[in-house]
Amino acid sequence: MNRLRPAPGIFMLAYSVAYAFVFFKDWPLFRYYPLHGDFNWGPRSQTGVGPAMAWYGLMASAFIVALLVSLCVPDRVLNRNLYRYLWTTPLLAMVISVILLRRFLF
Amino acid sequence: MYTTLLIVHGLIAVALLGAITHQAISMLRRPGVRSGTFADRYTGVNQKTFTIAILALYVAGVLVGAIIYPKYRLDVRIPFEEMRLGWAIGAFELKEHFAGIGLGLLPLYVSSWRTETEETLRGTRTALTLLILFIVWWDFLVGHILNNIRGFG
Repeated sequence: MNRLRPAPGIFMLAYSVAYAFVFFKDWPLFRYYPLHGDFNWGPRSQTGVGPAMAWYGLMASAFIVALLVSLCVPDRVLNRNLYRYLWTTPLLAMVISVILLRRFLF
Repeated sequence: MYTTLLIVHGLIAVALLGAITHQAISMLRRPGVRSGTFADRYTGVNQKTFTIAILALYVAGVLVGAIIYPKYRLDVRIPFEEMRLGWAIGAFELKEHFAGIGLGLLPLYVSSWRTETEETLRGTRTALTLLILFIVWWDFLVGHILNNIRGFG
C-alpha cells in the first residue's frame, strides 16, 4: 500500500456509499444559508435564516470518509469479481438519489 | 458576475459534453477497417488523450456550478416553488447530486484510462465512462431546460 496515494477503487466505493448514506440520513457535514452567507456545522437545520443548502456538506462528508478509507485500505482487498462490478456503487447512489427525490419527480 | 459565471459554466459544459461523447463513442466502436468517413474520423481518436481534459473540465464545471448554486437557490428555485414546478426542482436536485456522485468516480476513471488495464477490468472502464457520459448529458440538458424556463435576471 502506498500511504500517500488513495486507492481509486476503494475511494469510489466509499464515496458512493457515504454520499448515499448521508443524503438518506440528511447528515451533511455543514449547511450553507445563502440569504446571509451563514454556515451551520452539523446535521441540524437552523430556522429563520432562509433556505438551507446541504449539497456542499454532503460532498464534503463523502469526500472525507472516502479519503480516509482509501488511504487505509488498498484496492487489492477487492477480488477481481468485486472490482469488476465496482461501477454499480455510484449507479446505486444515483438510484437512491432518485428515490429520495421522488416527491418532486413523480 | 453571476451571468458571466453562468455563461462560463455553460461553455465548460459544452466542451465536456463534446469530449466525453467523443471518447465514449470512440470506445464503443469496434476497431476495424477505416474508410475515412466522418464517422470514422470522429471515432478514430486516441481515447486516452481525452481523459485529463475530461477530468479538468468536470472539476471546473462542478466548481463554477458550486459558486453560482446559491444564486439559483434564492432567485430561481423559490420562483419555481411558487410556480409549482416540482419536476424542475427535482430535475435540478438530481443534476446536483449526480454531479456530486460523479466526482467520486473520477479517480478510478482516470486510473482505468491511464494504466494498461487488464482485459477483465476493461468493463469497469467502459461502465465508468458511460456513467460519466450519462451524468454529463443529464446535467447539460437539465441546466439548459431550466435556463430556458427562467433565464437570466
